[in-house]
Amino acid sequence: MKIPGYSTIRLQFDEGVGLLELNSPPSNAMNMDFFKEFAAVLEFIRFNQEFRALIISGHGRHYSSGADVPVLLKEILEKAETDKKGRLISVPDFLSNNYKSFLMLESFSIPVVSAIRGVCLGSALELALFSHFRLCGEEAVFGLPEASFNLVPGLGGIYKLCCISGQALALERVLKGSTFTAEDAMKYRIVDKVVPKKALMPTAYDFTRQVMQDFRVEKRGLYVKKYLS
Amino acid sequence: METINKISWEIRNDIGIITLDNPPENYLVQPEFVPLETLRKWTSYDYLKGIMICGAGKHFSGGGKLENLFRMIGNKENISESMDKGKAVLEHLENLDIPVIAAIQGICFGGGLEVALASHIRVCSENALFAFPEINQGIIPGLGGTVRCFGKTGFPKAMKLIMSGDMINAEDAQEINLVDFIVSKHKVFDFSFNFLQKLTRDRPLTVINAVMKALKNARSLSIEEAMREETRMFCELALAEAKRRNGYREIQK
Repeated sequence: MKIPGYSTIRLQFDEGVGLLELNSPPSNAMNMDFFKEFAAVLEFIRFNQEFRALIISGHGRHYSSGADVPVLLKEILEKAETDKKGRLISVPDFLSNNYKSFLMLESFSIPVVSAIRGVCLGSALELALFSHFRLCGEEAVFGLPEASFNLVPGLGGIYKLCCISGQALALERVLKGSTFTAEDAMKYRIVDKVVPKKALMPTAYDFTRQVMQDFRVEKRGLYVKKYLS
Repeated sequence: METINKISWEIRNDIGIITLDNPPENYLVQPEFVPLETLRKWTSYDYLKGIMICGAGKHFSGGGKLENLFRMIGNKENISESMDKGKAVLEHLENLDIPVIAAIQGICFGGGLEVALASHIRVCSENALFAFPEINQGIIPGLGGTVRCFGKTGFPKAMKLIMSGDMINAEDAQEINLVDFIVSKHKVFDFSFNFLQKLTRDRPLTVINAVMKALKNARSLSIEEAMREETRMFCELALAEAKRRNGYREIQK
């Protein structure tokens, strides 16, 4: 299979399993190019029957530190359509496309597994929340820090956290904006399993190859019970 | 401090406190336990950042006084209208765009539990007791308690609670997601108040309101609609933040 080249993503393929790595060293921040390329990668995988599962991870030490906020603010200021009083009329397409990509990812009929090590913050945690399964290394660090710079998660993070961990926890995590550990993430049901850092990718591959045999999203809980507990 | 229908209201710092103030059991006088208009007025102060609901004395609330309810039926008062008003009060609380925390100790039964379930966060003391005793009188919770309970605990556990009328303790309540935090006996008010204050203290109202709206959307909209709204609210805040960082003067509404 000929895999296109991307500047912020590394895509590999091995016996049915795709590995999508966020690749903007050092912390794999999700910049404008990333979101564009991410949408393109999803299209590529969606129309390629050979992909039977997808693992999402970060190249190097981290999953991702999330969106590049200063760049994002600048883009929004330039591109958002506002009325005379400066109030927002419509959300710029580049932003709407991001949440649509996440919805598209979630609707995949092949299993999508996020393998998380290092930091997984803001939009990166939102991306992980739209994967079907989440595994992480023991030292992983999670958080939705948006509120600490006067913003809120904007790509379904509040929605997903509310569904997965309940309203009170979503409220607490989002308003506090502070980071939390892999152990906490497990307690909040945000991750399905915590493993030693070195075991992360092997575990992710083993699990993914099991699940892709007969993946149906409704059976999520069953796979977690059967293969991860 | 204001009081109406044995419900008191005060504001401490920027937190509003609703006290079910009919000791010892803090029975609710009627389904619309506080007149909707009064509640709207209380909750409309634009500097409020959160609301705490608690009971006076040892208990949260024993719920509605069933004698009152049966008397209303006996007098052919319009019971369904009265229940609708009660539901509107709880919907108002649940849909506020600031967080509402229920600080529960002692008994939290029937209508009291329905009030707690309409709150966004539930804290209880280790000696708290929960029940929907309505079934023992041949009725069911009538202020949305069945729906909200099901939303928290799932079908089997909600059915057990409602059909049996049995009491459960704090630990069991947390086990089935009915409460979020258990604290020691005398810490409920302090913990709840401080928790709410810590959560909201450093956050502008615009951020708090956006988070609450997003949570409301998560309860009521499809995922597509909820996400579109989440992105839109993010974009509004980002626009304001970008201008602030660029030294724009905030444009007055």
